[in-house]
Amino acid sequence: MIKAVRKGIVGNGVETIKDLANLLSSKNYRGSVIFTAEPTNDQRKMLEDICPTKALFSIKENNAMGLDNGKCIMCGYCSVVSEAIKISNKPVIPAKIKSQIIDYSNPQTFPSEKSYEQIGNELKEKIQKIFGRSLAIRQVDAGSCNGCEIEITALNNPIYDIERFGIHFVASPRHADVLLVTGPASRNMEIALLRTYEATPGPKIVIAVGACACSGGIFGDTYATTGGIDKVVPVDVYIPGCPPRPEVLIQGLLLAVDRMIKNGK
Amino acid sequence: MNNTNLENYAKEITDKFSNKITTTYQNNDELHLNVELNDMPKICDYVYKNLNARLATIICSDEQKNTGGFVIRYVFEKDGAFIFIIVSTGQGLSFPSIALHVPAATLYEREIKDMFGLTPTGNPDTRSLVLHEHWPDEIFPLRKEFELETKVKRQEKEYPFLRVQGEGICEIPVGPVHAGIIEPGHFRFSILGENIINLETRLFYTHKGIEKLAESMKLDETLLLSERIAGDESVANSSAFCQAIEKIAQVDIPKRAKKIRTIFGELERIYNHVGTLAGISTDASFPFGAARLNILKERLMQLNESLSGNRILFGVNRIGGVRCDITDENKKLILETLSEIAYDFDKIILLLKSKSSFMDRLRGTGAIPKKIAYDLGTVGIVARCVGIDVDTRRDHPYGSYYLHNHKTPQELMQHQIEMEKRTGDALARFEIRVQEVRDSFDIIEESLNLENDALFTSIPERLEPFRSSLGWAESHRGQTLHWVMIGENNSIFRYKIRTASFCNWPVIEQAVLNDIVPDFPLVNKSLDLSYSGNDL
Repeated sequence: MIKAVRKGIVGNGVETIKDLANLLSSKNYRGSVIFTAEPTNDQRKMLEDICPTKALFSIKENNAMGLDNGKCIMCGYCSVVSEAIKISNKPVIPAKIKSQIIDYSNPQTFPSEKSYEQIGNELKEKIQKIFGRSLAIRQVDAGSCNGCEIEITALNNPIYDIERFGIHFVASPRHADVLLVTGPASRNMEIALLRTYEATPGPKIVIAVGACACSGGIFGDTYATTGGIDKVVPVDVYIPGCPPRPEVLIQGLLLAVDRMIKNGK
Repeated sequence: MNNTNLENYAKEITDKFSNKITTTYQNNDELHLNVELNDMPKICDYVYKNLNARLATIICSDEQKNTGGFVIRYVFEKDGAFIFIIVSTGQGLSFPSIALHVPAATLYEREIKDMFGLTPTGNPDTRSLVLHEHWPDEIFPLRKEFELETKVKRQEKEYPFLRVQGEGICEIPVGPVHAGIIEPGHFRFSILGENIINLETRLFYTHKGIEKLAESMKLDETLLLSERIAGDESVANSSAFCQAIEKIAQVDIPKRAKKIRTIFGELERIYNHVGTLAGISTDASFPFGAARLNILKERLMQLNESLSGNRILFGVNRIGGVRCDITDENKKLILETLSEIAYDFDKIILLLKSKSSFMDRLRGTGAIPKKIAYDLGTVGIVARCVGIDVDTRRDHPYGSYYLHNHKTPQELMQHQIEMEKRTGDALARFEIRVQEVRDSFDIIEESLNLENDALFTSIPERLEPFRSSLGWAESHRGQTLHWVMIGENNSIFRYKIRTASFCNWPVIEQAVLNDIVPDFPLVNKSLDLSYSGNDL
């Protein structure tokens, strides 16, 4: 290996990136699926057939097609068989209501994008309003493949540094405001998840992280899984993705706090 | 591959048990011996003790429709070859246990009991493993008559943990929901003061029915499923699955694809090892080192994304080759990024090694006795940290690893001396990971001279039903072994997955015995085992 001469990593330079919006998502990122044209009848059949998690579905009434981002695992198989579909390098936006994570082949507007710093600061204000200074998160793995955990762990690294916004991970559900749940809720974890939920003091919010938590994902609804966290506990926010990027996780947290004010819980 | 070796073993076993082996069949690097159920323990014992072969896996499949019974395949690994000892249970629902001769077989037999309802007669541990106490007794998910979508009722029952009794002994139950951001599992410590007297692990909380699910999927979908066996081993597991299918289809993938698989496999190893080293640093109470290493991990994950479109390398492989190309531009990116990371990595490791409190924390912690590591059939880092010299990349070269196996006699000697010195503690595992990261940098650099051929080769439309094959890869945790049997119409008849974690989990109960409770997180992290890869 060529040894480049550069400033050492063990120095005191600031590694945390202020505006990640443009920097992070590389142009190759396999993100959300976009309809570029209205799929024809044949294409629709083909797309429904190729989609491994049945995220793509036909709508009979207007001959259009829908995409449930909560099921999509971003494998990109659909873009190979059909011209009507393109993979963008933008992640899917989290939503509070399950129907909001569904896209349609009919044209529609995309929500405005905010930079990472902006999102964080908005979040900081909201959190301060509700909880005074901080938001405590308890992460629960209900049968995930560990992919989502890698991204959640990344929130704590010096580059994303989520603690600067007053959000931190706690060791017990008794100390938590938010449950960040991953996995398709395996049957063996069902009781544990329910107990963790019950142990969390109110007001509490539950965030389903990843395609598995939103819908069962590739693991579906089988003898060993329950097909999504919302089958076991009430979910406030859905964060799609396989796995969702760290900045999308922050967006999900923002949504969660927003919801809390509205419900006045 | 090692055809002469294989013939020698075939001859040795058939000479010894000539009248007991009904048929022999040889295929590339697999030797299949069909034997009678009652003769099986003796033959397994001979292969294990006299041939010194390692138990690689035990595969059960429900072939009642084809052969009129359940078929159990005992797979032993020796010198780059796999020896299959195949028995059929016929009408009966039990088989003799080999757990007392081959300790590593215990868990496989308990798994078969849960998933197929076959009783291993003579296995000392009769408790359930995969299906927890709340599953009804008469549910056997991997039998063919069991429907994938069945929702079974819960029943009330207690799991009998091993009770340690005596004055001053108390129990600490931990999990399944842990304090950190990790996967679920239950640990039951019996302690005297701070000293751990006994540890019992209870896993399979993340059991998602992957093996059963695969039987209802198309081949391309199963590939996606194999990537998600354990999110951080996606390249290793999908490569192993692809290789199994490619061997069944009898196709040879292009050289370019082989090298790209190797490169992504090593990228996966680097980012995970760096992450584990960061975790070790956290658990040894040195957050500064952890923060710096996590910066490197993040950079590596961003590199992953620009190369493959996914931060944890989902979507690299396809059956017959690879999906993502490495262009000249990418080559430059890899070289530049890795040279920076290699430079920073060396600096951090130097820093960590200069902190005596850090090194003291690792030295002697979580030491594994060599005999136990051998008996439990450990693989990967866990085996290498006690000096058991196994590495799938060298023993069963796949991808383009055969290009990296040439060592001079002097290097070989040095390697052997290194192996002898290893003590099996957390420090040994730390050092091996550091070394492997450096080796991976070299392997990637050497692999970048890609051939100019295709990215993939097409496989036949229809694969011959009931052909089966093994695929393997060395993940950052160790050997992952996938066995696929094709069914009718290109479906999957049986997909047996054995990741490194399944072999290595039992060792943690032994590794903590000389330690105190606060050492447990460090021991656990230094072993770096996957829950999802174990539970399937």
